[in-house]
Amino acid sequence: MGLYRTQIVIVTDILDVVQEDTFDKDGASVTSLIRKANISHGRLSKILKNLVSQGLLEQVNSDRASKYKISVTGREFLHAYRTFSEFTDGFGLTI
Amino acid sequence: MEFLLESILNLIGFVVGIIIGIFAYIGYNNTGSPVLFRLSLAFFAIGIGFGIIWMGYMIDSIYFEEGEINRGIQALGLGIQAIGYFFIAFSHTIKSFFPKSRYFRSVGILPLFFLSTMTIEHIIRSFSFILLVYGAIETFVSFLEGKQKGTLAVGIGLALLAFGEFIAWYSFVFPESILYSISIIIKIIGLIFLFVPVSKLPMRKIKLDDEFEDEFKDDFENHA
Repeated sequence: MGLYRTQIVIVTDILDVVQEDTFDKDGASVTSLIRKANISHGRLSKILKNLVSQGLLEQVNSDRASKYKISVTGREFLHAYRTFSEFTDGFGLTI
Repeated sequence: MEFLLESILNLIGFVVGIIIGIFAYIGYNNTGSPVLFRLSLAFFAIGIGFGIIWMGYMIDSIYFEEGEINRGIQALGLGIQAIGYFFIAFSHTIKSFFPKSRYFRSVGILPLFFLSTMTIEHIIRSFSFILLVYGAIETFVSFLEGKQKGTLAVGIGLALLAFGEFIAWYSFVFPESILYSISIIIKIIGLIFLFVPVSKLPMRKIKLDDEFEDEFKDDFENHA
């Protein structure tokens, strides 16, 4: 049985994948995000739109399809999430 | 001696509680996590509770010089601390607090009969002890799952606070013994243990877009 993921966990999973692909492949494609972040296309589209509008991700248009890159704010958010996740782990709790 | 130790304990408790509370609140501000919100409430309450008792001691040493704190101030401080311990226990899901077994339920009522003739302060100490033991057990269970040193330190810290609270409560039976001083020292060590994992983390605020924070706070409320 899979673990229930809260919204923030899904968002950080997406940001993690985008960050990884930003360095390796010059941006993450929607297909790659669906597969690696384990999320449906419908839900991913909404979250991506939100993350781009909030400045955590940057949308770049390549020849074939849109790709996403992580922004400085996105990296800061991931850093903050990890820090506070470690903090709550210390109390035996999940963020 | 007890007066000095109490002042030191309460000052340390105030500082540790407020620092951890601020850190948890910054975390809540950045991520919108309800867990961090509960932890910030818990540690602000613990810090304020210790702070009130410390103020009580200071007021006595400056103005009254009776060598003992006003019982009302002491009870107020302990009560606010107990609220903090409640939020820590609550974060580990309060469901486990109410045992399903009929036998355990009947046994669970027993302490109420023992406590009925005691003062408010003793009752609050008893509640704090129960909440701390619960928090410590849950934290140790999490440590067994995750094997993180920070979790172990917090578990030991909560267990020492509980043990200190128990000895403080027991010292009422032997009021002139060294038990109360020992309980204060144990609680100081417990507070230091509680601070260990937090001391390793960076204490800077990471500012995010306000709209983003609000949106995720809403999302959390829907999912929590």
